[in-house]
Formats: sequence, structure tokens, C-alpha cells
Amino acid sequence: MEEFASELMSQLDSKVSFVIPIFGGIPVATSIVITWGIMLFLLVLSKVFVRNLKMVPTGSQIYLESAVGWLNNFFEDILGEEGKKYLPYLGTVAIYIGCANLIGIFGITPPTKDLNVTAGLSLMSIFLIEYSGFKAKGLKGWVKSFAEPMPLLAPINFLEIFIRPLSLCMRLFGNVLGGFVVMELIKLVAPAIIPVPFSLYFDIFDGLIQTYVFVFLTSLFMKEKMEINLKN
Amino acid sequence: MTTLVAIGAAIAVMTGIGAGIGIGIATAKATESIARQPEASGDINKALLLGCALAEATAIYGFVIAVLIILFLK
Repeated sequence: MEEFASELMSQLDSKVSFVIPIFGGIPVATSIVITWGIMLFLLVLSKVFVRNLKMVPTGSQIYLESAVGWLNNFFEDILGEEGKKYLPYLGTVAIYIGCANLIGIFGITPPTKDLNVTAGLSLMSIFLIEYSGFKAKGLKGWVKSFAEPMPLLAPINFLEIFIRPLSLCMRLFGNVLGGFVVMELIKLVAPAIIPVPFSLYFDIFDGLIQTYVFVFLTSLFMKEKMEINLKN
Repeated sequence: MTTLVAIGAAIAVMTGIGAGIGIGIATAKATESIARQPEASGDINKALLLGCALAEATAIYGFVIAVLIILFLK
């Protein structure tokens, strides 16, 4: 049990895979290398599938179009017409987090198990949320939106700028980490066959649900920020 | 000292109780409303998922705090 605990602890901190030997050495974490791998994989996929597209879709193009259409419809339902320009970013984040969570099936450490990756993603989200409100309402409307529904709640609205990314970050990280710890415990008790159904749940189902929740909440917050209050 | 840290972590993980009850109530209501109005199941599912994600967050905070307690108070 003692060695298991220490092994678990060693799995928790982000490892450095190599150091770039300039400016006194820049450490590159394993999660970044895996992210590069996912980027390369998605780049190759998008190059392969987008080759010779036709007006009337055939073969794999049908699946591709329905998948992209589903993703776009999902975000457009939430954001509406004025949020159309944010669709590519949200779709990209959804595909990236989905791949990052599912990569655990192949025995590679998911990058989302690193707190720094989820923190970066949620920081990007909160910037986009505030930017979308700013863009839709202008500076005055954006500042005013903190005093809604009444000025008394302004401090709480202000605190939300920090709470939202924190909760987005911790939700993704905690879920992936929790699934990982439970899987390690199951593997310790029963190394063969029994982990398979649990792996289906924790790696595939939970990973996809968390992807969905992350982009869903981001777009919901954006919608909330973009909404123009008719009273003013 | 180690036992105290373990007890602290266990208390932190107790946040799971609240999340479990919350998600249970939400799912019960969602199944009820789907049974009453099957054509609205898409919207209900969306709202249920959002509620579950927010309710689950408390359990996740508890878990993260427990891990932090074990990591930093060792």
C-alpha cells in the first residue's frame, strides 16, 4: 500500500519530458508533448478528410458533414445568431478536450490530468466570455452588466470572473484525476478483465460528458454575458 | 499525524454526500418530467446535464481539497 501511494503521488505531478537548451533551458512538460501529438493527429485527420470535397457528399464526407453540423447546431442553439463567430473556437476546444480525455484508452496519460492544461483552457474561456460581453454591449454596457439584477450584487458578479474559471478548471481536472485514481485502485485489486467495464465508464463516458459540460458551460456563460438587458 | 491527515481528507470527501443527493433529486425530477412530456426530452436532458455538472462540482471540490490535504500536509 505504501509503494502504491508513492506511485500515485509520482503520477500526480506533471513530468518534464525534455528541456529546450536555450535561455538557460526551457522545460517542456509531458502534457505539452502529448498535446502536440493530438494537434498533429487532428491536423492530419482534417487534411485527409477535407481532400476533394464534393457538392453532393459521398462516403466519409457524409459522416464528416453530419458531425460538424451537429457541433455547429449545438453551439448555435445556445449562442444564437450573434454568437456565430465564436463557433470555430468552441468546436476546436470541444474536439481537443474530447481527444485529450479519450487518449487514456491507449495508455497515454491524458493531458487534462495536468492542472496547468485545464487552467490554461479555463483562462482562455473566461477571456472569451468577457470579450464576447464586451463586444456585444460595448464598454459601458459591459461595466453595467456587473450591476445586474441590482447594484447590491456587484461584488458577487465581480467575484464570478475568478470563480468561473476556477470551477471550470477544477471540474475538468478533478473528474479526470478522480477517474484515474479510481482506475488505479481497481487495477490494484483486480488486474485482469474487471477493469474493462470501469474503463469504459471512466475513460469514454466520463471523458465525453466532461468535454460536453466544459464547452456547454462556456457557451452558456457567453450567452449570459451577451444578452442585452431590455430594461436599460 | 498521518491518521489526522487521513481523517481530514475523509471529511473533505464527505462533500460527495450532498452531490449524490442533489444529482439523485435532479434525475428523479427529470425522469418524471420526461414521462409527463416525452417530446421535451431534449431540452430536459440539457437542463439535467447542466444541473448535474453544477451539483457534481461540489463533490469534485471536496476531492481536490482531499488530494491537496494529503499532498501538502504529509
